[in-house]
Amino acid sequence: MIDRDAGFIQVLRRRLLDRGWDHTITAGAVSPEALIRMRLNALVIDITVLGPDCWPYLESVCTRLPGLAVIVCTGPSSVAQRVRGLRLGVDAWVTKPCHPEELLSVVEAALRRHRRAELAVLEPPTVAGEVMIRHELHQAFVGEVSVGLTAREFEILQLLVQSDRVLRREEIYQRIWGYTMAHGDRSVDVFVRKLRQKLRLASPGWDYIHTHFGVGYRFEPVGEESGLPGESPEPLAAPQTTRSQVVYTGLPDS
Amino acid sequence: MGLAEMLAPSGREYFALFEQAGTNVMRAADLLEQMLASYPDRRELATDILVCEHEGDRITHELINHLNNTFVTPIDREDIYRLAGALDNIVDYIEEVADYMGLYRVEAPMAQAQQMSKILRRSCEQIADSLPLLRGFQDISRHTIEINRLENEGDRLTREAMAALFDNGIDPMVVIRWKDLYERLEGAIDATEDVANIMENIVIKNR
Repeated sequence: MIDRDAGFIQVLRRRLLDRGWDHTITAGAVSPEALIRMRLNALVIDITVLGPDCWPYLESVCTRLPGLAVIVCTGPSSVAQRVRGLRLGVDAWVTKPCHPEELLSVVEAALRRHRRAELAVLEPPTVAGEVMIRHELHQAFVGEVSVGLTAREFEILQLLVQSDRVLRREEIYQRIWGYTMAHGDRSVDVFVRKLRQKLRLASPGWDYIHTHFGVGYRFEPVGEESGLPGESPEPLAAPQTTRSQVVYTGLPDS
Repeated sequence: MGLAEMLAPSGREYFALFEQAGTNVMRAADLLEQMLASYPDRRELATDILVCEHEGDRITHELINHLNNTFVTPIDREDIYRLAGALDNIVDYIEEVADYMGLYRVEAPMAQAQQMSKILRRSCEQIADSLPLLRGFQDISRHTIEINRLENEGDRLTREAMAALFDNGIDPMVVIRWKDLYERLEGAIDATEDVANIMENIVIKNR
């Protein structure tokens, strides 16, 4: 817990001891590296302790430690501040003055959500062509090498892989961005272009995403040596065109 | 500058500066079209556009300095001042669009914005082609007619683009960003029409 409110800390510490929760309370920022070493389940932070540096700090902690439940417990704040914090990855925002029991319940709820998310980690990787999609890592790999996808690129890839039909641009936008696509918006095209470039770099000789002009995109791994008309005069050679398949490899390596 | 030069109505410097401004406007519009067509891959073109904006300011200052140092001008002082300002406005709008694309963290372009930048580039081409004709106050009507036509097309596109932003369920951030960018693009296209009107006026007055 990062806080300087002596009265609140005193009351909360008593309840934490009653529950038998291991805890550390500091009056200043703790680097994400140090937080990793502390092997925490949750972090409760009063952002006033950090001043204007709180935003990059929250972003850095939430990005580096996606499994950590982060709860902001601070004095009155604006809607914009709360929205900003939650969008950076904060799990919950509690406004002081608050009852310590309420704060601890919010921490418990955040931990429950994180545990449920951890269960999803067991989702097995998907193999398509030369690419292995590791859902739990939010990343695609060719062999051991990461394709280097951003979060949004990965989400688009995952969506396309999970569908066995042509997905309309509007549909992709709605599912990934969560809003209706404005007429003329080229976001989907731009992200698919970046995704293709990265896949092409990591897995040359394979085409994964196919454009259906005026409609949208379809995922299907096609090896360029598969002898498709006009593509290669070479005889068929393995690996052949394969639809994505699920490979059960147990828990992730990392 | 000698007395004879201050009094003689030689317009070479003014016309040369206007032609430079026309080339600069054309270059800025061309860069913006390229930037939007390939966005976000060639975001660095915004820096080249900024260079054009500085160049536009330099030319305008030079024109005004020149105006302050000469008694007799080849065309009305007011027209020189207005034309210099209108040409500068085009580049200012173009620079704002390029700059705000980055400032608003735009991830991808809109097809309508790409079309508007194409119209803007074509209109700037007409300006660059017609400015040399000012030297002899030659007929520029085919250029001004084309600029007016392009401006009408730009207006239609802007209205359609704006209307599309207000469909149900669109991300409000997209609306805020693009409404502003469309307005600036429209401002740039409107500024080309201002230039055409001023040029037309100069030709009519001096023929």
